[in-house]
Amino acid sequence: MSSATEVMRPEEVPQPKQYGKPGGFLRHTNIITGTVSGIVLAAIAYLVAGALRPPPSDENALALPVGLDPQFAAMYIGWTIGLLLGIGAFDGPLRWFLGHDLTHEDAEYMAGAGQGKWRYFKYTTDHKVVGKQYLVMSLVLLGVGGTLAMMIRTELGITWMEVFNPNVYNSIIGTHGMVMVIAMIIVVSGPIGNFIVPIMIGARDMAFPRLNALSFWLLFAAVPPLVSSLFLGGIRDGWSVYQPLNSQAPVGMLGYQTTIIVFAFSTGIASVNLITTIVTMRARGMTWSRVPIFVYGIIGSSVMGLIWFPMFQYSQILSWSDRVLQSNFFNPAQGGSVWLYENLFWLLGHPEVYVIVIPGTAALMELTTVFVRKPLFSYKLAIAGIFGVVGISGIVWAHHMYMTGFAPSANYPFMLSTELISIPFGFLVLVLLGTIWRGKVWTRLPMMAVYAVVWNKVVGGITGVWLSDVPVDQYMHGSMFVVAHFHFMLMGAALFSAIAAIAYWFPKMTGRYLNERIGSIGFWVAFAGFQLCFGSMFFAGLQGMPRRVLQFDNAFNLSNWLSTIGAYTIGIGTVIFLYAIITSWRGGQTAPMNPWAAQTLEWTVPNPVPLENFKVLPVVTTDPYNYGVPDPYASQVADVGDETSQKVSVS
Amino acid sequence: MSTTQNPPPPVEEPEEPTNRPPALHRATKWLERPYARRIILISGVYVIAILAVLWFAIWVLNSSGGPASGIMAEIATTMIWLTIVASPLMGFTVATLVYSLFGWGRVGGDEPPMQENPDIRTNATAVIAWITATSLLAGFLVVWGLVELAGITAGAYGTVPANKQQGFVAPINVNVTGQQWVWTFEYPDLGKIQSDVLVLPIDRPTYFNVTSNDVVHNFWAVELGIKIDANPGAITNTGVTPNKLGTFNIRCAELCGLHHAYMETKVQVVTQDEFDSWVREMGGGKTL
Repeated sequence: MSSATEVMRPEEVPQPKQYGKPGGFLRHTNIITGTVSGIVLAAIAYLVAGALRPPPSDENALALPVGLDPQFAAMYIGWTIGLLLGIGAFDGPLRWFLGHDLTHEDAEYMAGAGQGKWRYFKYTTDHKVVGKQYLVMSLVLLGVGGTLAMMIRTELGITWMEVFNPNVYNSIIGTHGMVMVIAMIIVVSGPIGNFIVPIMIGARDMAFPRLNALSFWLLFAAVPPLVSSLFLGGIRDGWSVYQPLNSQAPVGMLGYQTTIIVFAFSTGIASVNLITTIVTMRARGMTWSRVPIFVYGIIGSSVMGLIWFPMFQYSQILSWSDRVLQSNFFNPAQGGSVWLYENLFWLLGHPEVYVIVIPGTAALMELTTVFVRKPLFSYKLAIAGIFGVVGISGIVWAHHMYMTGFAPSANYPFMLSTELISIPFGFLVLVLLGTIWRGKVWTRLPMMAVYAVVWNKVVGGITGVWLSDVPVDQYMHGSMFVVAHFHFMLMGAALFSAIAAIAYWFPKMTGRYLNERIGSIGFWVAFAGFQLCFGSMFFAGLQGMPRRVLQFDNAFNLSNWLSTIGAYTIGIGTVIFLYAIITSWRGGQTAPMNPWAAQTLEWTVPNPVPLENFKVLPVVTTDPYNYGVPDPYASQVADVGDETSQKVSVS
Repeated sequence: MSTTQNPPPPVEEPEEPTNRPPALHRATKWLERPYARRIILISGVYVIAILAVLWFAIWVLNSSGGPASGIMAEIATTMIWLTIVASPLMGFTVATLVYSLFGWGRVGGDEPPMQENPDIRTNATAVIAWITATSLLAGFLVVWGLVELAGITAGAYGTVPANKQQGFVAPINVNVTGQQWVWTFEYPDLGKIQSDVLVLPIDRPTYFNVTSNDVVHNFWAVELGIKIDANPGAITNTGVTPNKLGTFNIRCAELCGLHHAYMETKVQVVTQDEFDSWVREMGGGKTL
């Protein structure tokens, strides 16, 4: 042992005692033990709660009118805890109580060393494994949500009969909405945020690797309750499940509530982890003005998730309590308020749009510099734009409630804030335009997606200008116009930028190129179908077609037929794109370390990225945007506002 | 932060003024660049395209009944003006995208292209111009919206005393009740007659007190331009003065359960005489 004054060599650092084989309990846990344990505990909880439930009796007038809700609530709690137990999520705290500190071998086992493909099915802490888990999960969710969307469009396209009965149809639209919202929240921050961001900032892993695994497996725990609700009466009330419909709904609603409550934990944990990683683990020399802009997007999104997700969670905890514990938070007959629910819901419900859109937009800014080979235009304006949106995001929620009458005078300030948020959002558009400005574009799929996305943002923006105005919203609210508008933002802007992000980072995540020819065909087919589907939907809305209906006046037939044709085109395009992803992942052309000649750090590590990413941690001396050659116009004194010309003129 | 080196100041001819040229001169110089005018031209084409779509949207609105009240007419005017004001920025954005593909050129291939594009880090004039333009646009939207909302609210809720208006007519009160999945309209001042079809006399201000017996509904008379949630345990208000005879749709615009899609009825805007006889027919005690 060396004395404290000497510097210890790494092998001299005292290691904690190794108990058993590396990994310990986690050697025996995986997705199968987790699922089995979840199901078993769910069954036990269901039976125990059933046995404890007071029997309904006519004699006992004080007997609570409880239905099956407590039993199913217990079942969902049992499933969540059981899954986490069985997957080994509580291994860390247990070790801590027992004083069995992790050895280096333990930590390596937990990061998935030497476990081959099985590491994707275990409680693995390596951020790259978690990133891929998130990628597959979001693709699966998008597939489920997309299938449900096809069913909706089938119903609305076949105007002469009811394909589904109203209960099934209402369940389909509710589940479609919620599945897609979850998928869109994770689709960039999950895969790219987890896989790429730590490497991008020059770190060996996330700040809290075990929390990283926990955030994914909480998401995994959250999905089955949502799917199970389809078989327990369904979420018949739209994704927003306004009260008091929420309380009237069958027990499947508990599945929805469980999903939101658990998913909010998952998002909160992931957000804390990403923020801490980015704040504390950047490479030496990576000052805040050298951080890639995508990382700023992830911070902005995480901050919003961290602040606003609890509101959504509270709304569902209180709803859960109303159902299971007979409380009356939202029951108007007993002094509750449906407006309270709506406010809590939209307090996340609107910032969530920015949680979804900001990382995708930041990814576009990142990859535009690479494919136009120009520096990011006005880096600091981009940061101001991101944090401007984050700042205002919290005070715009009630524009979803203009027509609820909850506070007529509140319409004025919320109209004001909603219209002001377009200013920082406009910064981001200027940054994109300025980066493209006067550049020769390298026309690869990720870059072409930028054009598609900005186009969709323009359409979504101009219709958003209409909707932000209270009197116009008086016409549009609750109509198909709103549906078309937010699909232009959430799908046209956010999902298409997520596709761009996945295509751009695909070579780093999988070591292979995304098949560009097939991928582009799929992308543009989906884009064309998208314009037809949602473009014509605007006109159904203008004619006065309410949303979430399964039958409607004949006046709306034409635009609905066109929408359905467009939707099927999107479906075909998506299947083609998915085929490109799967075949490229399995056997695509292998990609070099830095296929795009980009300057961010993730392209300096080999494929496949080794455990702990960097042998030697990098030192950063510049921002990653040193593209381009001196501007020929810059030497002209008469140049418009160019810094160079200003310097020239001072002499 | 940046390693980009500004090029050394070129040697200038001595008679050149040492101060920065005036803005107008610089703008003219900028317009002499080959791409500048073309981008402006494409912006113009796109603005015209937006206005054509707007015209089509208004045509759709008119062809499906058209504005049947002052509120709805005002909403249509707002849509037109908001679009006209917003379209130049939209046009410039699209024009830049189009020009970047077809004007500044593009490279294909698998290999990353040579670095030959200007390393523009920022441009003060462009940033200032953009922020000014978007702020003016947002400011216009805010002011327009606030003024218009105040006007509509004054009309709908009667904050401008109706008897101060020219041609004063007493307003009609209608209690609207939504329940799964029907609308009921009660005329409290007219002998509490009840109907499942809304009948209104033309050119008479009408105030609605809207509530629900069960879940949240939304009372939406499309062509009249009114919409308000019907909440259980609370009364919300709206109002309108219909100015067009005809039969229009009332729909529920808030998902309210199983038969939400079928929760619709009609509003008949009739003349005062027809309205009076309808009230008598329904057994109403008095007419206003």
